[in-house]
Amino acid sequence: MTDRRRGEKTDAVDPGRRRFLKGVGLAGASAAIIDLIEPEMARAETPKDSVQPSPDGTLEITLLVNGQRRTARVEPRTTLLTALREYLDPPVTGPKLVCDMGTCGACTVLLDDAPAYACLVLAVDAIGKKITTAEGLGTPDRMNPVQRAFVEKDALMCGFCTPGFVTAISALLRKNPRPTLEEIREACQGNFCRCGTYPRVFEAALMASAASDRAEE
Amino acid sequence: MKRFEWTAPTSVAEAVELLRSAPSFADPDEAPRPFAGGQDLLTTMKEYILRPSRLVNLKAIRGLDRIQGDGKRGLRLGALVTLARIEENPIIKRDFPALSDAARSVASPQIRHLGTIGGNLCQRPRCWYYRLEEVVCLKKGGTQCYAASGENKYNAILGGGPSYIVHPSDLAPVLVALGASVAIAGPEGERVVPLEKFFTLPSEGSIRRENILRHDEIITEIQVPASRFAARSIYLKFKERASFDFALASVAAALELDRDRTVRQARLVLGGVAPIPWRVPKAEALLVGKRIAPDLLNQVAEAALEGARPLAHNGYKVPLTQALIRRALTQLAARA
Amino acid sequence: MIQQQPAKKKRKVLVPRVENGIERMVEIEVEDEGGPSWGPNNAHKLLNHHLVRVDGPVKVTGIAAYTYDRHLPGMLYGRILRSPHAHARVVRVDTSQAQRMPGVRAIVNLAERGNYVVRFMGDPVAAVAATTPEIAEDAIRAIKVEYEELPHVVRADEAIKPDAPKVFPEGNLEEKERRGDLAKVEAELARCDVIVEAEYRTPTHHHACLETHGHVVDYRGGDRAVIYASTQGTFTILSDAAKELGLPQSAVVSIVEHMGGGFGSKFGIGIEGKLACQLAKQARAPVKLMLTRKDEFLLAGNGPGSWQRFKAGATRDGTLVALRATQYQMGGLGDGSLAGQPYIYTARHFYRERIAVHTHEDAARAMRAPGHPQASFAIESLMDELAYKLGMDPLEFRKKNLRDPVYHRQLDRGAREIGWQRRPKEPGTGRGMGCAVGTWGGGGAPQCKVTVQIARDGTVGVAVGTQDIGTGTRTFTRAIVAEELGLNIRDVVERIGDSRLGAANASGGSTTAASLAPAVKDAAYNARMQMAQVIAPLLGAKPEELQFADGKVSSGGKSLTWRQACAALPLAGITAQGEWKANLAASGVHGVCFAEVEVDMETGHVRPIKMVHVQDVGLPLNRLAIESQLIGGMIQSLSMALLEGRVMDARLGVQLNPHFGDYKLAGTFEIPEMIPIIDDEDPRQAVIGVGEPAHIPGGSAIANAVFNACGVRVRELPITPDKILQGLAEQRRRA
Repeated sequence: MTDRRRGEKTDAVDPGRRRFLKGVGLAGASAAIIDLIEPEMARAETPKDSVQPSPDGTLEITLLVNGQRRTARVEPRTTLLTALREYLDPPVTGPKLVCDMGTCGACTVLLDDAPAYACLVLAVDAIGKKITTAEGLGTPDRMNPVQRAFVEKDALMCGFCTPGFVTAISALLRKNPRPTLEEIREACQGNFCRCGTYPRVFEAALMASAASDRAEE
Repeated sequence: MKRFEWTAPTSVAEAVELLRSAPSFADPDEAPRPFAGGQDLLTTMKEYILRPSRLVNLKAIRGLDRIQGDGKRGLRLGALVTLARIEENPIIKRDFPALSDAARSVASPQIRHLGTIGGNLCQRPRCWYYRLEEVVCLKKGGTQCYAASGENKYNAILGGGPSYIVHPSDLAPVLVALGASVAIAGPEGERVVPLEKFFTLPSEGSIRRENILRHDEIITEIQVPASRFAARSIYLKFKERASFDFALASVAAALELDRDRTVRQARLVLGGVAPIPWRVPKAEALLVGKRIAPDLLNQVAEAALEGARPLAHNGYKVPLTQALIRRALTQLAARA
Repeated sequence: MIQQQPAKKKRKVLVPRVENGIERMVEIEVEDEGGPSWGPNNAHKLLNHHLVRVDGPVKVTGIAAYTYDRHLPGMLYGRILRSPHAHARVVRVDTSQAQRMPGVRAIVNLAERGNYVVRFMGDPVAAVAATTPEIAEDAIRAIKVEYEELPHVVRADEAIKPDAPKVFPEGNLEEKERRGDLAKVEAELARCDVIVEAEYRTPTHHHACLETHGHVVDYRGGDRAVIYASTQGTFTILSDAAKELGLPQSAVVSIVEHMGGGFGSKFGIGIEGKLACQLAKQARAPVKLMLTRKDEFLLAGNGPGSWQRFKAGATRDGTLVALRATQYQMGGLGDGSLAGQPYIYTARHFYRERIAVHTHEDAARAMRAPGHPQASFAIESLMDELAYKLGMDPLEFRKKNLRDPVYHRQLDRGAREIGWQRRPKEPGTGRGMGCAVGTWGGGGAPQCKVTVQIARDGTVGVAVGTQDIGTGTRTFTRAIVAEELGLNIRDVVERIGDSRLGAANASGGSTTAASLAPAVKDAAYNARMQMAQVIAPLLGAKPEELQFADGKVSSGGKSLTWRQACAALPLAGITAQGEWKANLAASGVHGVCFAEVEVDMETGHVRPIKMVHVQDVGLPLNRLAIESQLIGGMIQSLSMALLEGRVMDARLGVQLNPHFGDYKLAGTFEIPEMIPIIDDEDPRQAVIGVGEPAHIPGGSAIANAVFNACGVRVRELPITPDKILQGLAEQRRRA
């Protein structure tokens, strides 16, 4: 989904506006569940029957996580973060539960390629969205440039904030491959680290930026 | 979070009906809530400040996320337009720069990606007594504003009493300065209200709310009129922590200058210092017909904070806000 | 292992012991034998180099398994019901409604036996385990508790008054130390050329570990249990877990594979761990009980606040002659900690009284250099005030009153690095510099038992029960073994964080590296000696003639590749044990920090521009990780200087900021240019821990830089814009 700069002529004043993903959601779920449509219609239309909970208040949802369709039975109040970490089996634990209030960034995931706090998204509201976590960006054998740079520059200590930083910076570099230091600070001002790795994180982001330049050449 | 019913209407009328027909509630904090980005609402629900029985997801309704118009025609922003889109929109940046500034100043990229303009205007106060489940303060149906005589360094210096919250929105001061209105849909149809009349002081409206929106109403659109001062506008926000924080004080300012740089029209609205975006007409009037100069700036800053009544720990907000006013106006006047 | 042992000699060494968060040095006698030594610091192949963290790849890809990430079949979710009051008697607890909720599987009522008094907001009252996190949350809210509120006191200023509500029957004040001749000090003060009388305060801080405290207790009935713990001490939770589960300690295993930060707050199982065990025992099912963030703020300990009053005097030549200090340490229900004044400085005459003040707040715990940052902020501010009053360069004034030449060396180095000569002589320019000094023990102790195994296929494993709390323990453990055997760091696999793998000390007092590294070195050395015995005949050499280097074992002109050599090992390979060796560790470090800041004279905003920390570390095991630690220490101290502090409402007795949005940590926009410097002039060829010293002087350096920049002396942390604006307003009034 790198179409946000393509500038579809959908609205007089909003050429940069991103197009939305329409999720067919549960009921009409078929193999091809993603479809690009025009923004005015671009509601993540949750089919009516998907919001009809069973008597115990739970409902079955399907999430698109790191390219895989994953199903779980959750409550409407279950956050995306809790759904990923505690309801999927096996769980997706890259996003960490730290503040649970959208104030620390450790649970950062990409929703349709833009960073979001998974603790401030309801799982039912993430149906039909493309969800990417640190696990989806790379594996120890095939790390993405940001992950490689984090290891190389020692941009982690205890590592609990790290998947969130990696995700936020990966999102930044997709949108802005040559960020300045200020832009890097801005992109992860909503991510906090207690061990104090920030300067290393900045170095890693700059290194990854340079690496992606080389890859494109 | 308390259990709730999740509904996803596809039309405004259906949404209003879902809000109106929700199970009866004993306390306004248990009223059903419209749900957009959820970036503030979910935090209040996790702390059991708000305990809605039903959430009405607005994101399946078509047309609520449009950005239309420009500086000449005026701007119409659907309530669901995200802060990230406002921040990045080149026409808003050109014709309504303060709005761009304000959107960019909010929280973090993660919040701005999902947070909407409607939600930003309706977010609840940050006062830590209000935000703590264990404290039943005046705004939660209790009998006291504990901030009034407690830890009040972040609280109101203007317009306070009996509650001393400050309005946390960054977009609100700008939109008030630019003369914006909100379109509100309810059971009786739609009404359009100037934003200045939308927000209510604790001493005027209900102490439990910060605006006139009823529980069965939703904001559908924010309308910013074309004006001669919108293009020369700015939003300055001062945060205690430079990273991800709310305003200790902020200033939205807009000027129309004559060719000889004298001020023809001025708008000055303060944020972070009062329970509502605090417009200072007397300070605005001082600017009209004059050129921006240090002496004038001092007079304007004095006038703007004239009515300030600091509490025990927030007197610093007076010189801080005055400094922001001088800077905002200096920067505006310096623009080509 | 056959080895020529020299005659055993005894020698005495000083090792640190941490008790109640206070470190003391204890003399122990050790055998002084031959055996491994590190050799010159500049002659290492791997150690003292920049080594990339070996657990980096699993952490950056999100697959490292922290305690919070454990997911067991049939696992229940535990939650704790906390007191909303600072002080109250629990009259009645009604769990009947919670019992009936579908999905609730266990309930523990701490007040069951009656006469239960809660003594701080957040004090646990009950706990539940349920099939989902949401149901567990509903269940604790379904428990109805009736409280009889009792008078509380949460402020030190109030607590010291004679008529204050009593936290303990004996009262709220507890004298910890009284030292020096007060009359003499008063007499000397009368003869000083300049006097400063001032008081300094630091608030309660929070460790704010990103992974909250908690455990996953894998117990389904039966005679065994595994406890996954987010702890700084793999071995500190076994006895309590066994007791709660009613099992023999040897039937309980603790696992700490990866751990999301501790900073001194995670020793022992804690109330949350005991409750998790009780719930698991009741439900006969695994229970995951991780504290919520609000729990973490309210009941998982904190770094104690301080309140210190001084009268100090110096003579015109810059000699600190006399100092009188009253030091209150504010540990809530606990003692707190505070290093005695005049801390690292030499005062010819001093008198100090150190008193614990109790309040209705949860007990403070050890926090990264317990008692030192608080002592440092006060004394370094005081030293600065004296220097300005004397009209002396604060750096020169410090050197005049520091005897240890290492401080002089480090201060000179730091001054060069920050450009101290550019410092404005008169405060008030909006930009300024400050400096400060610290000290720490950081030695090791004989607790670790390490095993190194070499298999016939050439693979090498090193195992020990220790935990890596984010400091890089895994990496140096591998590196030591690899270097000893002449291998690459990737050729060794470490297994740690499991109580079955051999004893290890807890990570407190910066003692992990200095305790573990010698034992790893010893085990690797012993493995090499054993291997040499086998290989030497193949090369026609004596065992002591063999060289292990570059993936080869060689002697004279002959060599075998590592794999060839290992193929000659017996079927079971080699297993060697290692223990701590006193000659491989040292203790006692210095450390100085310099800071440059900009202060906005109209808004009071402080922008850090640059920080420099110079630290002696003995043998730097891994320069990259040590530099990261120094940076991390500077950032934490910056954060505490400018932003952090618990805020209590005195009337309600509640903490007003038990969330990350309101308890503010430094973020990306607070971070200045940071220069971590390892002081390589330290001649010691031995390992010393550095986690703590990096956290001591930074905040003081920032505070002094703020004064140099704007002329406002903020004597209470954090240094926020409101205080600076207030100070500037007072300045104008005086002018």
